[in-house]
Amino acid sequence: MQPWRIIRKHALLTLVLLLPLTGGAALAQTLTMAMAAQPDTLDPQVTAATAAFQVSKSIYDTLIEVDRAGNLVPALAASYAVSPDGLTYTFELVEATFHDGTALDAADVVATLDRIRAEETASPKRVEFQGIVSVAAQSDRTVVVTLSEPQPALLSSLASGWGAILPSEKLAEGHDFGNQPVGTGPFSFVGWTRDNAITLAANPDYYQGAPQVEQVVIRFVTDSAVQLQGLLTGEFDVVDTVAAADQPVVEANPSLTLVREPSGLVLVAGINTRREYLSDARVRQALNLGVDTAIVMEVAYNGGSQVGTFMEAGSPWYPESVQPFAYDLETARALLREAGVPQGYTLDLVLPQPYEAHIQAGQIVQDYLRDLGLDARIRIVEWGVWLSDTYGGPRNFDITVVGHTGKLDPSGRLTGLGDPRTNYTGLDDPKLVGLIATANITPDHAARQALYTEALERIHEAAPFIFFGTPDRVYARQTNVAGFWMTPLLDSYDFREARFE
Amino acid sequence: MPRYLLTQGVSFVVTLWAVLTLVFFAVRALPGDAATIMGGLDATEEQVQTLRERIGLARSVPAQYAAYFGGLLQADLGDSLRERRPVTNVLIERLPVTLTLAGMAFLLSLVLGLGLGVLAGLRPGGPADRATLLFTTVALAIPEFWFGFLLILLFAVNLGWFPVLGLPPSGLTLASSWNLILPAVTLAIPRAAQLARLARARVLEERRSDYVRTARSKGLLPAAVGRHIASNALPGVLPLLALELGGLLTGTIVVEQVFGLPGLGLTILGGISARDYPVVQGVTILAVTVYVLVNWLADMLQLVADPRLRAPT
Repeated sequence: MQPWRIIRKHALLTLVLLLPLTGGAALAQTLTMAMAAQPDTLDPQVTAATAAFQVSKSIYDTLIEVDRAGNLVPALAASYAVSPDGLTYTFELVEATFHDGTALDAADVVATLDRIRAEETASPKRVEFQGIVSVAAQSDRTVVVTLSEPQPALLSSLASGWGAILPSEKLAEGHDFGNQPVGTGPFSFVGWTRDNAITLAANPDYYQGAPQVEQVVIRFVTDSAVQLQGLLTGEFDVVDTVAAADQPVVEANPSLTLVREPSGLVLVAGINTRREYLSDARVRQALNLGVDTAIVMEVAYNGGSQVGTFMEAGSPWYPESVQPFAYDLETARALLREAGVPQGYTLDLVLPQPYEAHIQAGQIVQDYLRDLGLDARIRIVEWGVWLSDTYGGPRNFDITVVGHTGKLDPSGRLTGLGDPRTNYTGLDDPKLVGLIATANITPDHAARQALYTEALERIHEAAPFIFFGTPDRVYARQTNVAGFWMTPLLDSYDFREARFE
Repeated sequence: MPRYLLTQGVSFVVTLWAVLTLVFFAVRALPGDAATIMGGLDATEEQVQTLRERIGLARSVPAQYAAYFGGLLQADLGDSLRERRPVTNVLIERLPVTLTLAGMAFLLSLVLGLGLGVLAGLRPGGPADRATLLFTTVALAIPEFWFGFLLILLFAVNLGWFPVLGLPPSGLTLASSWNLILPAVTLAIPRAAQLARLARARVLEERRSDYVRTARSKGLLPAAVGRHIASNALPGVLPLLALELGGLLTGTIVVEQVFGLPGLGLTILGGISARDYPVVQGVTILAVTVYVLVNWLADMLQLVADPRLRAPT
């Protein structure tokens, strides 16, 4: 028995000694955020992942940025001017310093834009900068961008995460921005353990003034239950995911605050318009009428606003003339009969894993389709398979559910729609392609809006999707955390004014 | 002995090559590649193709195979497609977490499993035996992800003894290895149960041996008899221990996920979903190596523990 007693004594001692190391280690001025997704790289020019831009926003700056109201405002460009023909953009730079100590000048902007336009960079966003003919440093602080044709969306591209300005000296060295990012942003990069955390330190020389917290730690926590528990124990100050079932728990707790605001997503069930019967617009309209999208939004996506076309609710570009399809079982059935769809016709309903909400939405759609006499067979596939086999490649699906992320400019959302080669729905509508193409290069705002309105009305009629809606963006924070916000449409995290109260 | 080492060495290389070849083609048989996934919803087919060329996926599969194995001969595991840095760096960063976790779980399961098994076997039908039976039944039936979650709820959320999330941002340090206790317990419990069952069976078997009866009839103290039984029964458990250690590696995949631990388990999961072929292959090499090493070690230990095996054959 003697050895046991010794072991027990020691175990207790070890326990007591180790306890202080586990709790309360974090500084009061460290803000910890739990994030479900994870960046693939922190090089803003070689990724398309929202998660990457959500984090890189704190490390880099862009010439133009999006304010809390969703407007484009000057950032590293103190001011900018557009020539009347819409072909020349002149940017005047602010005084700012990169984290490596070099000063921002026009050469950095030139090198940055040259790199994203270069084919060997293989940027997924390269196409947004292809209209650029030249980028030139007119002086140390002045950059002139010349376009081949007007591109009103250019400012939006420059304000997005992929418009981040990188230091030309480091670019010339072939620096690994993906693992060692260097920017002018409010926080400098400290370290990154994948699947664990990214640590950022406040940049005291930030050109807009130093941030109020000393450190930001972003933890990668895929499980929303773990996020919630960490929020409850105080381990996390902000969590980016709150499961619908947990929202009452957060709301009932006075030390926690649930934030609910509109997102930039458009949730849809894409319809493969090259399939039998589905090529008939009447059938696609019937699907829209026969699925109660209010229920889909409520149950699968925990609330939001319905849409009737391919534009997020609340967008200034959303046409007033387009109403969401209202649930109408009788009309839907009549349209299907008219189109000659046989009773019990089977459909291949493909749902992407691990997106639980889309899977749930798909199951609801399946129920509604049964009421229409359609037999939708659910097939759940992993995301990589979905991208290569459903969304791209052979496009093996009849109906599939997905969310399209927010875009600052409608060209980002709409380009490609109507061209069967570039859109997974396979909708073939040259007139629509023409409308969008013309709108994309129309500098006059009113004329541009009219063209997009016409395009969006056409999309409503053609109904290549079952339009669900725009969900709310729901996240939670400790009530004493103030000043944290997420960029409208882009969902980037903004810690510049974050502080503890 | 040299001959033994040589055959072991050759069989290791052959095993590694076979498994790696299998994994090499299996990951490429999955639909979609790293370029498609990085491109996401917005990239055009041309952009994805450029990306593919950039990261070396545009070459034919046999060409990739030749390049990869050629690199291996020079100890080059290639670059991660997603992280754009050498796979070796990725593995060096991740290995300590998994090794520490597996090591802690192994020790725990060893102490708990053998202890319970021997106690139970020495007094079949006694209270210790019944308690062990209950423990092993429950432990083998509980899914790891659920049990881990239960531990988090109790010890991290309610008692606050541990952080909810695996390791601190700084990663694995001496102080933060304390955080690995809950995951190690989660991982150890079902393995301890298996060990306990086997140890108990071996002890029971041993109890019926002639020498035990003789020793008893000669009036040896029960404790002394127990020692003899244990030392004769335990070598038979060693092969299972080796298997168990191998199983720990797969078990870490689930446990690392539940506790959010940045080890090899999450690495291979992330690698598969991102179609990061070199990373998946790199983890495979490590896993095979550990598996072979552990089995070899078990062989060695058995030689030490069982003198009969040392006789020339």
